[in-house]
Amino acid sequence: MSAATPRTGAGSTAGTRGSSRYGTITHRSSTGLLLVLPALAFIVVFVMVPFVFAIGISFTNWPLVGAFRFIGLENFAAIPGDTAFWKAVGYTLLYTAIVTGPILLVGYLMAVVVRANRRGSTVLRTLFFLPYVIGLSTLSFLLVLEAQPGSGAVNLLLQGLGITDGQTAWFTSGPLATALISLLVVWGVSGLTMVLLLAGMQAVPREVHESAEVDGATWWQRERSITLPMLRRPIAMSLILSVIGSFLAFSQFFILTQGGPGTDTTPVVLAIYNRAFVQLQVGSATALSLVLVLVVALVTAAQFWLLREKD
Amino acid sequence: MRSRREFLALAGLAGVTPLLASCGSGVLPAPDTAAPGFGEGATGVLRLWARSDTQTGTQAVVDAFHASQDRIRVELTPVLGTQYVTKLATAIRARAVPDLLAMNDIDTILFIVRDVFTDLTELVAQLPGRERLSPGQLDLSTLDERVYGLPFLADNSVLWHNTELMDRAGVDPSTALTSLEGCLDAARAVRELGADTYGWSLAANASGIIGFVTQPHTWAADTDVITGEVGSQRGAVEGNQALRAVLEHHRTMWAEGLMPQANFSDTGTSWGSDFTAGTVGLLPGNYFAAVMGQDEAVTSRTGVSLLPGPTGGSAFFTGGDNLCIPRGAQNASAAWEFTKFALEVEQQSKLPAGGYFPVRSDAATDEYRATYPLAVAPLEQIDTGYAPRTLSYNLLYNQPDSPYFEMFRRAVFDGDVDGAMASAQARYDRVLEQAQR
Amino acid sequence: MATTTPAPTRSAGTDPDGRPTTATAAGHAEPRTKLLLYGLAGVLTVLVFAAPLLWALLRAFQTNDVITAAPSASTFLDLTAANFAAVGGTAGLGRATLNSLLVAGATAVLTAVVATMAGYGFGRFRFRFSGLAFGAVVLTLMIPFQAIITPLFMQLNAMRLTDSLLGLVLFYTTVNLPFGVFVMRNSFAGVPAELEEAAFVDGAGTGRTFFSVLRPLVTPGIATTALYAFLASWTEFLGALTFLTQQQLYTLPVALLNLQQGAYGAVDYGLLAAGALIAMVPCVVLYVALQRYYVAGLASGSLKG
Repeated sequence: MSAATPRTGAGSTAGTRGSSRYGTITHRSSTGLLLVLPALAFIVVFVMVPFVFAIGISFTNWPLVGAFRFIGLENFAAIPGDTAFWKAVGYTLLYTAIVTGPILLVGYLMAVVVRANRRGSTVLRTLFFLPYVIGLSTLSFLLVLEAQPGSGAVNLLLQGLGITDGQTAWFTSGPLATALISLLVVWGVSGLTMVLLLAGMQAVPREVHESAEVDGATWWQRERSITLPMLRRPIAMSLILSVIGSFLAFSQFFILTQGGPGTDTTPVVLAIYNRAFVQLQVGSATALSLVLVLVVALVTAAQFWLLREKD
Repeated sequence: MRSRREFLALAGLAGVTPLLASCGSGVLPAPDTAAPGFGEGATGVLRLWARSDTQTGTQAVVDAFHASQDRIRVELTPVLGTQYVTKLATAIRARAVPDLLAMNDIDTILFIVRDVFTDLTELVAQLPGRERLSPGQLDLSTLDERVYGLPFLADNSVLWHNTELMDRAGVDPSTALTSLEGCLDAARAVRELGADTYGWSLAANASGIIGFVTQPHTWAADTDVITGEVGSQRGAVEGNQALRAVLEHHRTMWAEGLMPQANFSDTGTSWGSDFTAGTVGLLPGNYFAAVMGQDEAVTSRTGVSLLPGPTGGSAFFTGGDNLCIPRGAQNASAAWEFTKFALEVEQQSKLPAGGYFPVRSDAATDEYRATYPLAVAPLEQIDTGYAPRTLSYNLLYNQPDSPYFEMFRRAVFDGDVDGAMASAQARYDRVLEQAQR
Repeated sequence: MATTTPAPTRSAGTDPDGRPTTATAAGHAEPRTKLLLYGLAGVLTVLVFAAPLLWALLRAFQTNDVITAAPSASTFLDLTAANFAAVGGTAGLGRATLNSLLVAGATAVLTAVVATMAGYGFGRFRFRFSGLAFGAVVLTLMIPFQAIITPLFMQLNAMRLTDSLLGLVLFYTTVNLPFGVFVMRNSFAGVPAELEEAAFVDGAGTGRTFFSVLRPLVTPGIATTALYAFLASWTEFLGALTFLTQQQLYTLPVALLNLQQGAYGAVDYGLLAAGALIAMVPCVVLYVALQRYYVAGLASGSLKG
């Protein structure tokens, strides 16, 4: 890469390294702004404005039909005592805890299998990633069929293996539903981790591995000392994406359990959705959304900090 | 974008503007229903919203309407049932309402208390046959003696029985099924007929269905689970002996194995299939579950009666659609003309073809009785139809975490009737209080 | 143990002991156990990953009755195309597929165009507030749209963009922009400055520089962005559910949801399976055909951040 690659963020046309070539082309400044404007327009109109709007709504009791009134911080004051919300938060955390580790582990193993670049590696890589491409919502629809007691593939398999009687109604029990959904998610999402890690792994030259092997290092020793350090960044990226994805999980729960039985499998986003569109308490729902945004931002920041490159 | 301050100001303004716009300048204007010629000879386009759940029924009436005249064209927009209230609310807020709403009758009160529907009282007073209309359904759209919506099509819950199984079990439906006690005996008798023959079937993991078919037993004893006027209601769970009897009845049936095991997790996706297959003696359900699309072999062995109370009485759930004209409707005259057409005996008596009951008792003509013998029962006792008029029906009964549903499952499957009723009372009060603030 | 046979790189052969090897770049021989493990992993993969998808394919050709009944040898392979014939029926899956294609396609194009422009601007230009502007893009990544969906709904309603495919396209474009801008910025930043210089010296303006000189080099980035945007919009669920009212406008995920939750009466699982299969096909086809870009895009994202 050329050393004169301009890096944005400096925001000035002063003579920093390599920029002197552009400093003389004065018309380019405004062109840059023009080029960026459409994207900015989208973001301002469809993200920033609703966000500001959200802050406004959170101070009202907007009931969807009829007049609303400003109620100040009442929505926020009600949050600590909002048992439904905290139950959803607890469930989301539990769910995240269950799936994050396996997703990373399975993705890692898949990457190990694929990186050797043997015959058939590409086919394997394609297959591993296919569920992710198909998407969790479509996969959830398929699971609806296959989780049926007595006739769905999941139960048939378990019955064939002699583990159950094949009549398990997965979605009438919180723990069972969570277990099955977690399995689905790990299966469907690990491919992403694999791809992210693969790029990092393939940056490790083969020779390094081989000379270590010659020196008598076991597979695990090699992984620990050579591969893992190189993978710090991709692992960080994959963890961050995975955790945020779990925090914001919605589709699979909406389709498979509608948050039930009762509210036993209701994650935060579904709880907020119900608050707004079923209970018609938009003000309260928006206040909760803002809390969610804050939490996601904090967690992401924390992860970035924890997993930062310590040179 | 001259400066950061300007940018922020712009953003702030942009954020406030939609808020202001959505405030609206008050209620939309009501159409002048007293104008001469209102509802006669209207022309133009009639924009009608229908529930996707009842779409086929509505479509049939629309087709008949088109065939009967060519001045008005109906533009039918099917809206998903679970989103109807939200979509309508935002349409009202955006001041872009349709002309006529065919909506779930239990949802109409939500809008009536906010004064967004047209007062139809005077028009109804001049409607021929108004005394024949289903009072249960009409009441749901009535507030302070003013009428804001009219029944359109009915989706009622009744008690279906398998005449062959009753016969073999030595049960006389006309006497046995007049009380829950009698029903229990009948169910037991049928269960004895064989290992694969059950006395009763319920889609017990479907909140909507449970609310729909089990509540009438309580109403038949002249009591409801909610008490008070709309806007100041409380739960009437604790101490409700009729409700207790209903819960215990179902608990007994489950404990004695009179219901198929599959009922526990049945979400109603194939509601009634066990009954129509001939393996169940009694099925509380609507017309769709037991009759619609079935052939002669099935219908000839099907009998019907209303849902009984613990020791007598009968009732049925007056579900279905009501027609309401929102304020601000542009073609209200056409809307009223369509409404009158839909309520004519001729149109009403064709409803069972689409799976619905008529909303007027005089639709039960001789021809009707001959064509749809199984759709007569509710019409003969149309006064016993009822549904609770409350701002929180959806939250109290239809959601997966609704208090009624939770109470039912806990009482019936866990056997804890007292605990279920106590916690339901608390939850009812909480939900109602929240909605009535 | 290690042989020094100068075997060619990455070709199969046999080592001196007669065991089959896959030679590596350094001419190393691989013992059979490793090969066996690899083979095992391969078989397992096919079972765990390919089998469910092939099974779904089978289900799409079974009727609802067959699917919901305990399997019996006689009925199980009673395959029929009836589900696909019913696609045009009340559930409106055919129309929903068209809507999805329209929306996903338009989103892909719009996102690609806007992201490319922005990527060019951020990647190769210096201007005041570029930092602030890029910060706004990053911020968007931080604000999950699920959190602002309610006020966004109110706002789009006020703008008359709810219940419209156009509104949906605009929404999806916004959601996919941050990733697209990242990819395109990296893409442009990777182009050597000399090429642009040369074009400028030849008298080319910004437009021509882009079209003639830069475009071929950033096409992979554009393809990645478009592909991502298409796939993300194709399976998107919550936005479509919230913003669309009319049945005629439903996209495929929403139509399938309605079908599954019995909005059209009793659930027809055969139809649902067929619908899910239809939902899968474009994803699989596009992915397999354009794997290069997809994987490269993710990889660049993870390494350069």
